Amino acid sequence: MTRVWQVLLAAGVAVAFAAAGALFYQWRTSDAPPDPAAAGRMVLAASLMGVDGKLQPFEQWRGKVLVVNFWATWCAPCREEIPGFIQFQERFRADGVQFVGVAIDQKERVAPYAKEMGINYPLVVGGLETMEFARQLGNQRSVLPFTLVIDRSGKVTSAQVGMLRPEKLESLLKPLL
Amino acid sequence: MLKRLIPLLLLLLLSCGAGASEPELLEPEKAFRFSARLLDASQVEVRYEIAPGYYMYRDKFKFVANSPSITVDASQLPPGKIKKDDYFGEMQTYRGEQRFVLPVKGLVAPAAGFTLKAESQGCADIGVCYPPLEQMAALVLASFTPAAAASGQTPFLPAAPGAGASSAQSEDALIAGLFKGGFWALIASFFGFGLLLAFTPCVFPMIPILSGILVPHGEHLTHARGFALSLAYVLGMALTYALAGVAAGLLGTMLSAALQNPWVLSAFAAVFVLLSLSMFGYYELQLPSALQSRLTVTSNKLHGGHFAGVFIMGVLSALIVGPCVAAPLAGALLYISQSGDMVLGGAALFTMALGMGVPLLVVGASAGTLLPKTGPWMETVKRFFGVLLLGVAIYLVSPLLPVMAHMLAWAVLLIVCAIYLHALDPLPPHAPGIRKLFKGVGVIALLAGAALLIGALSGGRDILQPLSGLRGAAAQEERAPAFQRVNSLAQLDDAIRAAAGKPVMLDFYADWCVSCKEMERYTFSDDAVRAKLAGMAALQADVTQNLDEHKALLKRFNLFGPPGIVFFDRQGKEINGLRVVGFQPAGKFAATLDLALR
Repeated sequence: MTRVWQVLLAAGVAVAFAAAGALFYQWRTSDAPPDPAAAGRMVLAASLMGVDGKLQPFEQWRGKVLVVNFWATWCAPCREEIPGFIQFQERFRADGVQFVGVAIDQKERVAPYAKEMGINYPLVVGGLETMEFARQLGNQRSVLPFTLVIDRSGKVTSAQVGMLRPEKLESLLKPLL
Repeated sequence: MLKRLIPLLLLLLLSCGAGASEPELLEPEKAFRFSARLLDASQVEVRYEIAPGYYMYRDKFKFVANSPSITVDASQLPPGKIKKDDYFGEMQTYRGEQRFVLPVKGLVAPAAGFTLKAESQGCADIGVCYPPLEQMAALVLASFTPAAAASGQTPFLPAAPGAGASSAQSEDALIAGLFKGGFWALIASFFGFGLLLAFTPCVFPMIPILSGILVPHGEHLTHARGFALSLAYVLGMALTYALAGVAAGLLGTMLSAALQNPWVLSAFAAVFVLLSLSMFGYYELQLPSALQSRLTVTSNKLHGGHFAGVFIMGVLSALIVGPCVAAPLAGALLYISQSGDMVLGGAALFTMALGMGVPLLVVGASAGTLLPKTGPWMETVKRFFGVLLLGVAIYLVSPLLPVMAHMLAWAVLLIVCAIYLHALDPLPPHAPGIRKLFKGVGVIALLAGAALLIGALSGGRDILQPLSGLRGAAAQEERAPAFQRVNSLAQLDDAIRAAAGKPVMLDFYADWCVSCKEMERYTFSDDAVRAKLAGMAALQADVTQNLDEHKALLKRFNLFGPPGIVFFDRQGKEINGLRVVGFQPAGKFAATLDLALR
């Protein structure tokens, strides 16, 4: 009889250790989001080729409320949210909101699409290495669409993987205006 | 106390899983699992296992061979499901498991295969798309396969479909594929895997632990009671395997890897030392009598006191003593992480652990009949298991100790045992045979202990060849595989770039990983294997410390922990389907290297 309780006592101690280990492990694995100021600096330091073939430094949009949308013509959910972005650009232009589309795509496909949709904000084009850039900005699985909101001071205030509903986008932009 | 402890432990394990169960995107290689094999010289079979909630576009597939003379025709893909697209019109998409048989042109002898590059693009229903994906597979014709690989029906894969012909699918993926079959076939296969694993170092340390628990019951240990107690132990182990496995599948890392830290291991080793000391009869551990009598009353009422203690020991043994990753475990984890199907994955792991427990059940059942009931014999048996428990304790802390301390610990254990076995006392005339036998065993233990002691002190660092240090350094150096260490993704990328056109092998290693050590000792040291490795860049990631960088490395390759060996082709892309998870003997591993070197 006593033997079992010895085992049990020892097991209890071991369970306590196991619990501590598991909790410690949970604490260590919780992902910290990238530092908003550092992420903002990364974006503003970038330069990508525009659809017109000219290099576009992001620095030119510093001081605006910047919405950077990673998308592609081959990505159906990305295309779905673009009409909303066009409307928002129109509506908030006077408030200093600037949309920029980063297409992971070919220039030849982006230009006709932009024309057909009447996209009223600048578009730049990047290759797969740009997806790596997005991954560093918090898009862990490198998927599209991915949308960053950067405030006037250059800090990333929101990083959204997947579609951004108009109501959500509005609530993200309003406090920054 | 018991009744409260067990639910607490279960809750803990479950809560680990629950934390990760919020919708999370799969990595593209997991969402769109690709594999391919050559059916004959003119047909290649391509498989995509598309995770539930994900889909792929039919017109985005592109298949290219690494040789320009070989063409793979993907113009005749089966029709997919129509998806309306506001810009492109109607698009065809695939879901679930897809199998395409594509015509191959230009594959003529002596070419026995080629590397297939598959391009694809897919999206998830939650409204995101993955960028175009490139995946590779090394394809070999079954009839051309080197003898070693063709006969390489791995012991873990008795039921895997097409294991003989396919060299382009790794074992874990094949096993994950088993989940598509019937429920009972799956359960039977995993029980079989468990039986095979039962005879590996993953289970051996559990035998003295269980025996240590059973032996003190000697006087009232009947056949049935021994079996029942060991069943409680095995059930504890199996349940833990299933829960920890499900948690690992969802979290992406092994809980047991986190438990391989100095605190847990030392605590557990201390438990064994205490247990062994009481085996030697140095003391009787007693709870305060008030508590004890209360507990006795409770457990008499429940009639389960013994069983719960043994059950918990099983739980802890599974977590701490046997963190072995073999192909069946990796396959089940892969399935769970991809499908999120905890029930089926957990059931498979549970039956696997039951299979692993069969020898333990045999030990338990026979203990009831084989063990002496009382008398001086009983004491001898107790001491024997006390020594074994000390051995388990040394084994547990061995990853924490320098090899020298480890060898010295074994030397001390062996030599002290030898003295107790009267190795140095003269035998009285007309000694009974049993005394002679004990003396013989004692002398052997003494010699082995002395060899370890001399070896450790003379700089030998190999516990199986303790005296190798005396042989001179030259011979030893030659044996050591020249691995380049990589510790982070950045270092890995640099090393692959630096390999400049050579294929690359990346080996995941940890001090606590038993099969990694087997690979080092028996496979990497083989002459044929080393000759082939010379033509490659051999990298090793030591993930013993389980740092964030280590987890990132494992995660990139969808591995849950070591062991795991990944190969990259001359362009630095991973060769799909060539992974090695778990121990592979030298002959089979050499054949795998041939595929990587192709």
